[in-house]
Amino acid sequence: MAQTDADQDQLMRLLMKIAQQDRRAFQELYEHIAARMFGLCLRLAGQRELAEEALQDAFIQIWHRAGEYHSDRGAPLSWMMTIARYRTLDLIRARKARQTIGDEDLNELDDGREGPLEFSLRESGAEKLTGCLDELSDVQRDSILLSYYRGFTHEELAQALSSPIGTVKSWIRRGLMALKRCLEQ
Amino acid sequence: MKKTPERIEALAAEYVLGSLRGAARRRFEQWMMESARVRREVWFWEEKLGQLARDVPENQPPASVWKNIERRLWGAQQQPTQAEVRGIGRWFWPSWSVLATAAVLVLAVVLIQQPRPSGEQLSGAIVQANLEDPLWLVSESGAENLLKLRSIAASEAEAGKDYELWVVPEDGQPLSLGVIPAGGVHQVRLSDEARKALSQSRTLAISLEPRGGSPTGAPTGPILHVTKLYAL
Repeated sequence: MAQTDADQDQLMRLLMKIAQQDRRAFQELYEHIAARMFGLCLRLAGQRELAEEALQDAFIQIWHRAGEYHSDRGAPLSWMMTIARYRTLDLIRARKARQTIGDEDLNELDDGREGPLEFSLRESGAEKLTGCLDELSDVQRDSILLSYYRGFTHEELAQALSSPIGTVKSWIRRGLMALKRCLEQ
Repeated sequence: MKKTPERIEALAAEYVLGSLRGAARRRFEQWMMESARVRREVWFWEEKLGQLARDVPENQPPASVWKNIERRLWGAQQQPTQAEVRGIGRWFWPSWSVLATAAVLVLAVVLIQQPRPSGEQLSGAIVQANLEDPLWLVSESGAENLLKLRSIAASEAEAGKDYELWVVPEDGQPLSLGVIPAGGVHQVRLSDEARKALSQSRTLAISLEPRGGSPTGAPTGPILHVTKLYAL
């Protein structure tokens, strides 16, 4: 979904009010972004119960931390989505509750064309990061996107991509640095 | 491990991606507390990778989520009324946050008022995660280049130690503002250099040092608190 400047301005105004303990603004913020945030939590967690808890925790953090936001931290929505994402990853790790990688996820990996990552996500991600993801090798890009959207650990990635952990780590590291070089151009 | 630019770059990306885990993740969070450059690198990735999050399909959470948020923040019966809300919120942190893990770690708090177009003054609080009251409130009196710390819940440093206050510049070494007492009201006159660095970075830190302050001019003890001030 396209984020217009007007949307970001509105989110910024709401955060300013929330920093002053304005509960109405907080509710408005929730109504505005909860579905988007829940989509991300659910994607990462793979189960509703954990995603719901992460969403609650994220909004509680946003309530307390609204005053910490400043424009150096990027767009307001990115900042809040980051809070939700870290929280979801924490809960996943704390409980090791995420679904293990099933055969269903793996069955399309062998041919090297389709992985557990939906094609739509891969495409939209590439577009958002101004095509920089396209410049990575397939394995670099998939490793990064699987880590981002699914919270895969190095071990899970190694299993999913049938490669040694050291190789997977190197894909991620080199992929991220190549991505940065491209984004900085 | 030394903070080389290459390491900062690589670790920040993996921190945001989530692939940096465990002890390495906690060590990196300490780096974030200590260095504006590290924080900026993290923010770069949070913004860039955050764009990926926008493309995930929306999914409406059940109504119970909002009810639970309200209950956890304000209790079951409370209706939102501004009058009940104190100027400084409760420092209740259900879990670690982006910057906060270690027990000593403190979260920056901010008292944001309506921004003023000119003659800005910096203000904020130094708070600790497990305490309801802030340790110190910080305010700046722009005209006289004075920084005032009012002790609220700070406790004495351990025997033989002192708290030392630092301006953390955007780049370069922290500038000492001297040793601060745990109690009472303490005023520090800012040098022009310190004032300039503070108005740019708006970041203060408190470290634990030998009695009388750091012998080297740079922080030697653990950085206990880092706080970002805001312009009033």
